[in-house]
Amino acid sequence: MSPHTRLRHRMHVVLHMAMTFVITILLAQLWLFTVALEAMESRDAPETIVVAALVVSFLGCSAVWLLIRFFLRAEKS
Amino acid sequence: MGHGSHPSGPVRWRQDFPISSDDDSYATRLEFTKFLGLTSIAFLFGTFVAAGRKTWRRWAARQSASTSVAGISELEVGGYKLFRYPSVDDPCILLRRGPSEFVAFNQNCSHLACPVHFEAAAGQLLCPCHVGVFSADDGRPLAGPPRRGLEKFTVSVRDGQVWVEPPSAEEFA
Repeated sequence: MSPHTRLRHRMHVVLHMAMTFVITILLAQLWLFTVALEAMESRDAPETIVVAALVVSFLGCSAVWLLIRFFLRAEKS
Repeated sequence: MGHGSHPSGPVRWRQDFPISSDDDSYATRLEFTKFLGLTSIAFLFGTFVAAGRKTWRRWAARQSASTSVAGISELEVGGYKLFRYPSVDDPCILLRRGPSEFVAFNQNCSHLACPVHFEAAAGQLLCPCHVGVFSADDGRPLAGPPRRGLEKFTVSVRDGQVWVEPPSAEEFA
């Protein structure tokens, strides 16, 4: 196996890991969305829950776009 | 002979539609990653809307003023009266549980927002849609699909009138 082919295989593994991470973040964002909906309907739920869900979801969204950028750059190289 | 080809050259329909069905349904990695990124933004937007609605509801509830909803003599013990509070879109129910004991709840069932009815004999509020049962004392769910209690309002009696109060800051703490 040539060094170039080996590098390509390694990049494939890294890209698969990145995509798995992206999908995990998306599932976490979906869960946060349901938590925010539940808190919206429940009067007893403190406001901090929805604020925390919003902040974490924003961080997740940023991470997804960073990973996608990395994914596309790695694919080009 | 290739697909769509002809001894004298490509057939006419192939010239008009040069993209094969396989190529037409092919999604590139760029398109797929864009889809994932947009899905992430959609979840973030949904969470933002939920947070905004929660904050707005609390703010509107704090801004609402005390309202007289009934005279004491209007209701017998075990009776009820429907009213709307804090806006005309919020149906509520006032119950007289004792000579000087009044309780008020949002009339929307916490399951799927059907209006609940007062069953005076049982001392319960019943949702006819999915047979959800709530306590008429504090609005907690007793049976059926609802998991959350009914929204309860602070009620006071003064000058022969029953007043519904906006929730205090402590209730939101």
